[in-house]
Amino acid sequence: MVTPRPGSALPSLIPRASRRAQFSALIGCAALFAPVAARGQAAAPAQAPILVLAAASLSDALPAVARLWEARGGAQVEFSFAATSRLAPLTLQGNADLFISADREWMDWVVKGGGAKAEDIVPLLGNSLVVAVPAGTESPPRTLAEVVALPRLALAGEAVPAGRYARAALEAAGLWDEVEGRVVRGESVRSALEWVARGEAAAGIVYRTDMPVTPGVRLAFAIPPEVSPAIVYPGVVLASAPNAAAAGEFLAFLRTAAAQEVFIAAGFEPPISRPPAAPPQAGPVENPGSAILLSLVVGLAATLLGLVPSVLLGRLLARREFAGKALVSTLILMPLVLPPVVTGFLLLTLFGTRGVFGPALGAFGITVPFTLIAPVVAAVVVGLPFYVLAARGAFEAVDARLEEVSWTLGVRPRSTFFRVVLPLAVPGIAAGAVLAFARALGEFGATVVLAGNVEGRTRTIPLAVYSLLESPGGSGGAWVLAGVSVLLSLLALAGFEGLSRWQKKRLEEWSGR
Amino acid sequence: MVGTVSEVATPTVRSLDVSVRLSIGTLGLGVELRTDRRAVAIVGPSGAGKSTLLRVLAGVERRATGKVEMSGRTWLDTKRGVFLEPWDRRVGWVPQNDLLFPHMSVRENMAFAGASASDVEETAELLAVRPLLERRPRNLSGGERQRVALGRALLARPELLLLDEPFSALDRPLRLDLVQRVHALAERAGIMLVLVSHDDGDTAAMAEERWLLVEGQLNRL
Repeated sequence: MVTPRPGSALPSLIPRASRRAQFSALIGCAALFAPVAARGQAAAPAQAPILVLAAASLSDALPAVARLWEARGGAQVEFSFAATSRLAPLTLQGNADLFISADREWMDWVVKGGGAKAEDIVPLLGNSLVVAVPAGTESPPRTLAEVVALPRLALAGEAVPAGRYARAALEAAGLWDEVEGRVVRGESVRSALEWVARGEAAAGIVYRTDMPVTPGVRLAFAIPPEVSPAIVYPGVVLASAPNAAAAGEFLAFLRTAAAQEVFIAAGFEPPISRPPAAPPQAGPVENPGSAILLSLVVGLAATLLGLVPSVLLGRLLARREFAGKALVSTLILMPLVLPPVVTGFLLLTLFGTRGVFGPALGAFGITVPFTLIAPVVAAVVVGLPFYVLAARGAFEAVDARLEEVSWTLGVRPRSTFFRVVLPLAVPGIAAGAVLAFARALGEFGATVVLAGNVEGRTRTIPLAVYSLLESPGGSGGAWVLAGVSVLLSLLALAGFEGLSRWQKKRLEEWSGR
Repeated sequence: MVGTVSEVATPTVRSLDVSVRLSIGTLGLGVELRTDRRAVAIVGPSGAGKSTLLRVLAGVERRATGKVEMSGRTWLDTKRGVFLEPWDRRVGWVPQNDLLFPHMSVRENMAFAGASASDVEETAELLAVRPLLERRPRNLSGGERQRVALGRALLARPELLLLDEPFSALDRPLRLDLVQRVHALAERAGIMLVLVSHDDGDTAAMAEERWLLVEGQLNRL
């Protein structure tokens, strides 16, 4: 029986009709670490399960093959599916048995790191690239030249094999330089496809095998073989596999006719031998400085934009009773408890070019997704709960009778607000602003969905760190940005602490006379 | 704001006509008060509703029903749906906790309603707080704070000045002196005073008329 562990192999549990939910599941990389960490030494010798780390594009076909294998008496198979780039570092952690990569580069990286032996690598499958367009597209492009003329092209991340293959194809066609500025990068093929399905991107270059499992997209054309790199999925039993024997048997089974039949039905091809795709020329983050600058700009913009709404909402919640108060309060606090990826997903539904407000914004020439506006919108929304809570607390701490005295002195409520209430609440509101700024600096989940990961435009510090961690040799740059992150967070929290004390001191000064 | 507080106002007849009901929790008020005196004291045990009655007159307690008329002007008439907002009432209210604005100096507190610098200084002199003008409320004694709050209310030039235990934090000689000065000032400026006190002491003794509030009922002594 195939038993995906909770949170890890979620995609295979979800019926095809609800593939959209998978989008967020694929991005939730934290869940990925669960199966590896949870796997203890308790592996019984006889029928111990096989833990397979496999490229996300296999998440439909591979469990089907495993069911066949188990039906024939094979050991139980457990999966963790994610982008190859995210799985490769996990192979060195020593708990998994089998690694199936979507490209040769990551496999070589694992070998270089001592995770597997080069002679054990077995080519398992082939795949091919296609151009996907939104289902409703009236005149879909027929050639790559037409594709690069479109306003926006969605690819998987630059460290993700599908993203590399797509870039290699565009380079082989001599079109990469032309289109580079209009490329948006999803964290995986599936998130790139989601943007296509929603019409945020006019086209995407994805695996053929992703097409039948994604609603809302249609195939425009297959990338011609003369520019397409050879896409080969190699598999290997890891050097540190606790269950190496069974894993070897399962790997052999994957090459049998019965298994290959299932893969081919899902759109895969037998492995072909052509020169592998060219390795990427540059690291994913070319300029860490731009990420730092962008993070500061986004943080400050979100803090300023959040000020007036937070003051108004905080005041409203502190002093007024009205119908639906609980609802308003809950809605504001939602981003605090919602997974940020879900917040991003909802924001995309609201502000996407085909979303609820998208067309209206578009009429004013405003595009939210993949522009600088997107990380700011995400930061405002996720920072608002902190901001409003702080403002509300600050207003509640101001003695209501001070306002009453002000009224009897002939000063109207509006003027009373600015002369009495606001000055007394300022330190608390400022503390909220600092928290909102700090939260904006750390914002990742909602941003990656709404804003993509575009260098110099939407790639803030957390996104840059993430991209660096995904690429071989990126850890140096990641350390620099991590250091900057820690420093900025410490400064922000020290500021918050200082402002909180200031507020507390003022409160004590006038209550303890 | 023209002229100074101590300037003789146009001699108009001050009169207060109150007939209100209010119940909040266990407190039930049913009050009839008619007077044209310059100074009225309301005495009674704690919890009788004295402070609440002042809040009704000030217009910051909005739940009362009935009628309040000040010198012929309607401040409250629930039958006709009239409620004059506190900022339109020309009422001075000095609550029991003086409630100075903590982020302002004494001078800024006293000038809050828009009084000129010379008016502020004159009133501060009268209330013996002139040396304190640049201080913050947190650096004042209880008695000083009460006087600043009183000055702040006076400088808004009210027709009716509501004082809730106004001199409780002062020692006796200063209290007697101050009560006298305030009465004199009110007389000259044509301000009607309503004082609240929990005992029938010095403060109440200076009033021309005394009323007793017990269990929500007001009776003239």
